[in-house]
Amino acid sequence: MLRISASTVRDRWPLFAGALLTVTLGVALVQSSVLVLVSTGEPTIPPGASGRVAEQIREGYVGAATLLGMATPLAMFLAVFIVGSTFAFSVEQRREELALLRMLGGSRPQLIRLLLGEAFLLGLAGSALGILLGMPATWIQARLLIGIGLLPGDFSARWSNGMLLLSPAVGIGVAVLGVLSASYRAARVRPLDALRSAPRATRVMTLGRWLWGVSSLVLTVMLVVAGHGADLLGALLVAMAIPVFGSIALSALSPLAVPLVGRLLGTVLRTSALGELAQANLRDAVRRSASTAAPVIVLVGLLVGLTGALNSLARAASADLERSTAADLVVTSTGAAAARIPQIPGVALASPQSQVEMSVTAQHRVDHRSYRQTHHWGITAVDAAAYRRTHRLTLRSGSLDALHGRTVAIGPRLAAEGVRDGTVTARIGPHKLKLRIVARLPEVLENGSDNFLVPRDLMPTAMLADAPTETLVQLTPGTSPQAVADRIRAAGIGEVRTLGQWADARVETQQRGTMGIMAVLMGMSGLYAAIAVINAVVIAAAERRTEFAVARATGLSRSQVVRMAVVESAAVTLIGLLLGTLVAAAALASFYPGPGGVHVLSVPWTLLGLLIMASLAVTAVASALTALTATRPSPTALVAARE
Amino acid sequence: MRAPATAGPHAGVPVAPVQLSQVSRRYGAGETQVQALAEVSVTFPAGSWTAVMGPSGSGKSTLLHCAAGLDRVSAGRVLLAGQDITHATDAELTRLRRRTVGFVFQNFNLIGSLSAEQNVALPLRLAGARPSRRDVQTALADVGLADRGRHRPRELSGGQQQRVAIARAMVTRPSVLFADEPTGALDTGSARTVLRLLRRMVDAAGQTVVMVTHDPVAAASADAVVFLSDGRIADHLLRPSAAQVAERLTRLEG
Ligand SMILES: Nc1ncnc2c1ncn2[C@@H]1O[C@H](COP(=O)(O)OP(=O)(O)OP(=O)(O)O)[C@@H](O)[C@H]1O
Ligand SMILES: [Mg+2]
Repeated sequence: MLRISASTVRDRWPLFAGALLTVTLGVALVQSSVLVLVSTGEPTIPPGASGRVAEQIREGYVGAATLLGMATPLAMFLAVFIVGSTFAFSVEQRREELALLRMLGGSRPQLIRLLLGEAFLLGLAGSALGILLGMPATWIQARLLIGIGLLPGDFSARWSNGMLLLSPAVGIGVAVLGVLSASYRAARVRPLDALRSAPRATRVMTLGRWLWGVSSLVLTVMLVVAGHGADLLGALLVAMAIPVFGSIALSALSPLAVPLVGRLLGTVLRTSALGELAQANLRDAVRRSASTAAPVIVLVGLLVGLTGALNSLARAASADLERSTAADLVVTSTGAAAARIPQIPGVALASPQSQVEMSVTAQHRVDHRSYRQTHHWGITAVDAAAYRRTHRLTLRSGSLDALHGRTVAIGPRLAAEGVRDGTVTARIGPHKLKLRIVARLPEVLENGSDNFLVPRDLMPTAMLADAPTETLVQLTPGTSPQAVADRIRAAGIGEVRTLGQWADARVETQQRGTMGIMAVLMGMSGLYAAIAVINAVVIAAAERRTEFAVARATGLSRSQVVRMAVVESAAVTLIGLLLGTLVAAAALASFYPGPGGVHVLSVPWTLLGLLIMASLAVTAVASALTALTATRPSPTALVAARE
Repeated sequence: MRAPATAGPHAGVPVAPVQLSQVSRRYGAGETQVQALAEVSVTFPAGSWTAVMGPSGSGKSTLLHCAAGLDRVSAGRVLLAGQDITHATDAELTRLRRRTVGFVFQNFNLIGSLSAEQNVALPLRLAGARPSRRDVQTALADVGLADRGRHRPRELSGGQQQRVAIARAMVTRPSVLFADEPTGALDTGSARTVLRLLRRMVDAAGQTVVMVTHDPVAAASADAVVFLSDGRIADHLLRPSAAQVAERLTRLEG
């Protein structure tokens, strides 16, 4: 059996090269994500770093780990999905050969063993290549995380020997899983199929395909329903799950859409013989069409769905920030410069918020577990009265009026962290003092909110003067914000932005890491899907050599054959784009502005447009090139050739 | 209508390896339904060579497929090597294909990635045996291809490919060989070689051959000829000459 596998692999390498490539990329991807993820689990703090620096590094690591924790399962899903559809397609292409084995006395279990054996070999080879490719991939991924500022410049992912176990497990597992259902389907080919060299009208929508498709669809619909009326976090989770299940569902059911689109194409191109032929081919090769459409579906569903969800989340956070802040302008300056803002004509109220360098050690209690934690970041010195008038917040408890002297308020960021009532211990320079908790602020949507608010009168003046400060400014009624902004700038105080600009920029900075990961994910899934699409087109063209030759012998010119192939693959890509957009729409449904909540829908139109153009371009170019290659030999040579 | 048991040189062998009784095969349903076989009863005696002839679309291939267990019948019963295969499970049919039946078809059906030797050894390997190279080479030598064992199918001529296919069908020593237009794609010389090989299987090894053909000369090499028309057995001849066959065929088609 293995000998047959080996010589088949040698002889029909384009069929296997694609599968091998997808396994290799999948292994490299998963390995690098896991290596970086594991390395972020144990931050290396340079010796002698201050508590403040150490906390910042640690926070960065946690952020990177969270993002990778999101991206790694998605990478896994992509690998299984793409490898699975590539394998299924390549098995489908070998129907005749498998039927011949059956005719010669091969049993069903033997066929399954043959295909699983091949998958095992491919998985093994793909793992070996993937482990090698994973090394530069790890480096690139680490660089990217450093580039977006999540990890310190000297971060490097450490190699772990565990990868020698994990990567082959991933590679072989993905390959064998990918071929499993295809091999059971292939084992059901009838020996008689070996005799039908003409395109077979086998049923594409098998029972398994129906079950798989419909159950995934039901799950997707349930998720959409659950997402309707969920809070933002729920909506985000739903938006992450829907592209996965929706893509599976619509890929499985896509053969149903092929004839529909074929008919559409038929009415558009009714007059030309070419259009008629393309339509007929489309209908006849539903399985091939479905294989080309699947990666496009997952590409569009995943990228547009996730990007839309994250953008919507950012928009919601910034809208929330804008809504809860009562100010016309925001000035960024030093504490000393901020002190001059109230004197500027037209300023009714200035609320300075200074990031101060101090530490606060608090007692936490979460789920019967108590622990002490020292915070160095997100401690803001405020003027309680001005703060109250510039923030529309309903406190969870206490009152900001009492925020004077040795007191502290628990900021939005720690609202859910179970800080215990009573006092916290603060360190300001060499001094250590106890602060009484007087108020608790509510949670907010943005990530970068404060841990603690302390009264400005607690801080030494020199420290406040140096502290980076954002001042929320309310204007006297009737003054032009533009004029006041100009005056503040003229006074050389600092940077002035409108509330909207400030909120957007603030959220954007916080989202930069997420967007960076999204970019990585997008790039790699785009590449992955492109390979899968090209793969399907190349395999199909090899199979269609004779068909093309017959078409030419019937009187079609070479360029007509090529045009026919391009029209067909464009139609198939359109099906994929359509279904993918449907998946993305389902993923974003829970962000659709409805009653309650601040749900804001942000559709990444530009990305969608780019994807549409890129997919159409890739499939058109790939099918044109393969059709050109396939039609190079004279048609008679091919019509006559039989093996 | 029952065709009388055709008698061959080995007519004394008791169990008929292939027997069809009242076999019908319909394709499709409703308006587009095609009756490819209509209540056909026929026996192919052991150690004989029977040719099946008839106009295009008369159901010859269908008859062959049903008799070999490659296709299910719509009604009737099929006995193969003393076993009722009408409702046989896939595993039972697989076992039959390994031990009892062999196939040769018009379009050679070799696996392109395997050499001639590997193609010949394939059925034995699939059956779990470890064929010795000698066995395989003997089989190839029997069909006159001793020196082409390492070649791939695409490096062989059509006639040579067909002889590889016959060597592959012979190597398991099946009691029944089914051949669908085995000479259909060959020139006269290659066709004659193939027919000689089939004759040797019947005479030397006592194997049974059922062969579909359009060629009266090929049919004349057989022990008996069965004529099909519109899915029914229309006629039969024993030890016919090519001229007799041609004459009956013309009458059928006319
Ligand atoms: N899978 C199928 N579906 C529908 N009809 C079929 C199928 N296979 C065969 N037929 C029909 O059954 C009839 C008999 O076909 P069969 O292939 O047995 O003819 P044949 O005698 O072998 O013809 P030829 O000499 O041309 O090979 C034909 O009318 C054919 O159209
Ligand atoms: Mg036929």
